[in-house]
Order: sequence, then C-alpha cells, then structure tokens
Amino acid sequence: MTTAFRALRAEGHKLLTLPSARLAIALGVLLPAGIAALNARSPHWSGGVDAGFTELGVGGAIGAILLGVVAVSSEYTTEGEESAATRQIAATLTATPARLVALAAKLTAVGLLALALAAAAGVATFTAVHLVRGEPASAVTAGRVLGVQVYLLCTAWLALALTVLTRNGVVPMAVMIANASVMSVTYLLSKVTDAAHYFPDAAGPHMFLRGVATGAHVAPVTAGLVMVAWVTAVLAPAAVVFCRRDA
Amino acid sequence: MITFDSVVKRRGERHVLAGISCEARPGRVTGFLGANGAGKSSALRILLGLDRATSGRALIDGVPYARLRDPMRTVGAVLDGSGAHRCRTGRAHLRWLAHAAGIPLARVAEVMADVGLTEAAGQRVGSYSLGMGRRLGVAAALLGDPPVLVLDEPVNGLDPQGIRWMRTMVRSRAAQGHTVLLSSHLMAELEETVDDIVIIDRGRIVAQGTLTEVTGAHRTLESAFFHLTRTEDGR
Repeated sequence: MTTAFRALRAEGHKLLTLPSARLAIALGVLLPAGIAALNARSPHWSGGVDAGFTELGVGGAIGAILLGVVAVSSEYTTEGEESAATRQIAATLTATPARLVALAAKLTAVGLLALALAAAAGVATFTAVHLVRGEPASAVTAGRVLGVQVYLLCTAWLALALTVLTRNGVVPMAVMIANASVMSVTYLLSKVTDAAHYFPDAAGPHMFLRGVATGAHVAPVTAGLVMVAWVTAVLAPAAVVFCRRDA
Repeated sequence: MITFDSVVKRRGERHVLAGISCEARPGRVTGFLGANGAGKSSALRILLGLDRATSGRALIDGVPYARLRDPMRTVGAVLDGSGAHRCRTGRAHLRWLAHAAGIPLARVAEVMADVGLTEAAGQRVGSYSLGMGRRLGVAAALLGDPPVLVLDEPVNGLDPQGIRWMRTMVRSRAAQGHTVLLSSHLMAELEETVDDIVIIDRGRIVAQGTLTEVTGAHRTLESAFFHLTRTEDGR
C-alpha cells in the first residue's frame, strides 16, 4: 500500500513538472472555452441544447489525449549520445520495480489530472458562453457534466494505453488528435458501416450531447459502457506488454 | 552481496549472455570488463529487473531486485546516463525519485551538494553537460544511501576531474563496507579502481578473481584482457 501511494505521489510530481503535461492541461481548458466564446459571438449562433458541450467534446478531448500520451511518451524520450538526459523508464522502474504498481500509479495520476482538466474546462467553457451571451448555457445538468468527466477520463486513459503499446507519442497523437479535430475518420467510416458509431470518439460524446443528428442513437449509459469497453480492450494488452517486455 | 547465477539472455537467435555466474562482495569494488556489446550492460539491466533473463537468476543479498522491500535504500544504480527527462530540472528529477522511494525531500539538496550540482539544481537537464548528467545519475543513486552501488560505464563522458571524483567516491563507498559493481571497457581506469574483476567476452565470463589473479603473469590488465579474449582468427 505504501509502495502504491509513494508511486502515485511520484507520478503526480512527474506530471506536474513536465512542461508538455502542463501545456496539455492548459490546452484542454482554454481550447473549448475559446471556441465556445467564438461560437457564441457568431451571428449564426443557434444556442441550442449542446452549446458548450460540443466544444468540450473536441477541445477538452485534445487536452486529455495530449495528457495521456505525454505521460507515457516522456518515459521513452531519447536524446543523442551526447545528452545528459536519457530514457526515464529505467529510473521509473528502478524506483518502482513492481510494474503493475508503476502502471497503476501512472493511470491514477493521469486520471486525477484528466478529471481536474474536465472540471476546469467545464467551468471555463460555460462561463465563456454565459459572459458572451449574457445568459447561461441551457440544460447544463449534473448528468451531462458527469458525462464530460467520464468521457475525458476515458479518452486520457485510452491515449495512455495506446502509448504504452507504441512507446512513442507520435502515432497515438496523430491518430487520436487528427481524428478528434482535423478530419474524423470515424465520421467517414460511419457512412460506410454502422459499427463506426461505436468508435470511442463517436459513441463517447453521446454521454453528454443531446442534439447530435447521426444515424445511430446511443443512450448516455450505453455510450459510457462503450468507452469503458474500449479502455479495457486497449489497456489490458498494454498492461500485459508493459509487465513482460524489457524496459 | 550481488550474485549472478547461470544468467542466460537470448534475443532472438543471439546469445547476449550465455550463462554467467559471478559475485560482487561487500567492502570491495568489482569491475565488469568487456568490449562494447560483450553483455555487461545486459547483465546489469537484468540485475535491476529492467530486462528479463531467459534463464538463471541475478540476486541482491539473495533476493531479486523486484522483490526488495525498499529498492532505492538497498541498491543505487546508474545505468546509461541520468534517466532524467530533458525538460525537467535536476531538482525535480530527484524529487520525484524521493517521492517514489519515500525518502525525505531534504535529502535532495544533500545529494546535489555531494555531487557538486547545487548551482545547477534549478536548471533543466537538457542544458546539462554529459558529465553533469552522470553526476545527477549518481545523486539519484545515493538518495537512499544504499549499501549496494551498481554503475554502468560510470566514467564515460566525464572530464579528468570528474573521473577522479568518481574513483574517490567509489573507493570510499567500498571502504565503508558497501558493495560496488561497475562496468567499463576502460582498462587503465579499472586497474586504478577495482579490487575484483570479471572479464566478459561475447556473453561469457572468461576470467574472474582479484585484480592480481586475473592480471596473472601479464604485465598489465590490458595485456591479460587481450590474451584472454583472443579470437581464433588471431585478432
């Protein structure tokens, strides 16, 4: 128990002193708030039941993905031969040799920060909408706010687990962030197959979006279960690989 | 006491270690000597539980590293540089390690002073020289004031002053009754530092014993090394 608690403190300290993790949190909070403010100023503003929530689902997710990725990729960053910095994973695993404990500590630290990110992003985004429009965003219920929390938590964990498998941040970051922001492959696939509606970034937001007009209706609880299933499906092999392979 | 008991490591078809058995005893500095790629680092990584042995065991006081109750208070290790992320300060690196090991944070400033990094404590590791990185690694190893030290190529990248500092540190730890195991391919340096020596050649131990025993009738450790690791084609 003490080992686990010590490992958690270490992981928390590591994340808070890692500039890219701080950047991830700042982005995850400011991006949705900024986009929501811009949308609220637009003459085409339609208000609607998803005002603020749509932005949290994209901007908040980008922060969560980045957080999950850098928490792991920073362990494997290598520099040239002449650098004083070397792969951190050796230090991590000599300090906490029980690998499952080390991984659980990282998951917990990332999870706690993702929840804090989600809470701060929610407050910032709905405040931005309120300030710009002069009236509060509609239908901000406890259930939907919880949905955002669960979505961003699962997204961060999914990014973390993928990066454990790849040991490099580039691929998970490119796949997940591009998919969340630039062009949604999931959306394109959903035109071809209904299964795409159950991809994490398609199903997950149904936990808090009410007005989405996609082909499949996914109930909030189902959406949450789909997210949990995705996290489990990627995390389980990641944990096995992390415990077995040479560091 | 460090014990390697028939440790084998295979990567695909290649035998990185072909069953090594040796010891490092308290109060003595033991040196792994071998060419680059001979298997020295692999042996140390297996000892620290970072890599998995294909068969055999590497133990610290009879226990595998991963099962030590308080690993950082038992073994201090420096493998392949500092293990610090370039964007973190030297102090922040030691702090998270102290958290992980349950060591009071006051110890961080002490070890930084011990290795001469007090002034650079607040700088990012990315701005450190190779030698400063080594010192940071040693500071991390000393955090828990462990009775066992494991150092992989400790003098690589150090300037003459740093090399002397490292040698003095290692000798004084052994004089206090601690166990020190280090690896190097620098023969003259090892001759100055170690009591016992283990020569590894292509994953096999070709000689082990005290420095005098291994040097034997040869004039220097270097000529003994080349005699012992001679290949059949006469290289």
